Amino acid sequence: MCSLLSSAPFPQRALSLGNMAAATEAGSAAAASEPAGPTSAAPTADGQQLQYSLILSHLVGDRRPVKELSPAVMGGLPMPHKSEEQKMIERGMESCGFKAALACVGGFVLGGAFGIFTAGIDTNVGLDPKDPLRTPTAKEVLKDMGQRGMSYAKNFAIVGAMFSCTECIIESHRGVSDWKNAVYSGCVTGGAIGFRAGLKAGVLGCGGFAAFSAAIEYYLR
Amino acid sequence: MDPMKAQQLAAELEVEMMADMYNRMTNACHRKCVPPHYKEAELTKGESVCLDRCVAKYLDLHERLGRKLTELSVQDEEMMRKAAVGSG
Repeated sequence: MCSLLSSAPFPQRALSLGNMAAATEAGSAAAASEPAGPTSAAPTADGQQLQYSLILSHLVGDRRPVKELSPAVMGGLPMPHKSEEQKMIERGMESCGFKAALACVGGFVLGGAFGIFTAGIDTNVGLDPKDPLRTPTAKEVLKDMGQRGMSYAKNFAIVGAMFSCTECIIESHRGVSDWKNAVYSGCVTGGAIGFRAGLKAGVLGCGGFAAFSAAIEYYLR
Repeated sequence: MDPMKAQQLAAELEVEMMADMYNRMTNACHRKCVPPHYKEAELTKGESVCLDRCVAKYLDLHERLGRKLTELSVQDEEMMRKAAVGSG
């Protein structure tokens, strides 16, 4: 853009103005709608001469008025303004932190249910280390179920929160919503989890979780 | 030319200019940021982030180019005036 607008001799300046008008067709609207030719004055119907530079300075230049940019003024559908509180609430609900918290709670509940379920279908043998073949009491079974449920719940909550948070951050950075966001954040989450056991485990975790996310995204889309 | 007349003319043109700019901006940003898949009715996070950036860039561009155009227009007039005085 700068090279187009650099100083040039007069006949080329006229051409460059015309080019600029054409080039900003996709960018700015106002410049293209004004017939910006080389002559700065042209006669109007009442014989007065128009001075484009003065009109332009009032339209798009330094002397333009302060405009309140609202869609109703500019030609969009007139809608009632949203209140500040509503905007704040909506912003909060769309934020990455809220989504991560939601995934955390969801993961906790799901993990708890899954843990209790697996404790239920698991064998009772070996619950008491001192006498492995004794049938455990109801209290012992419930305690075991609670422990397993809590452990699964915490794991699921952490994984869910991490995945949701990274996916939201990656999506905000890219500005696009497609399946790649889930794959990238799956790799990051799996890598972070596996990295605690070494680099190779981290890479495997990244690959595995990314593949899992890709499968889920394929199913969902 | 009388500055008051210029201001009045600009005020009349401004309504049309703003409506045109809004339409073009909506079209351009919609084309760039919202892929035509429409799996759901709500804007996703990525799309709304993209739209924020698109609108900010568009308005910034509009302002800068407007200023530059006015500058060049003033310079052109100076040259024309000099040429007219020189030949006259």
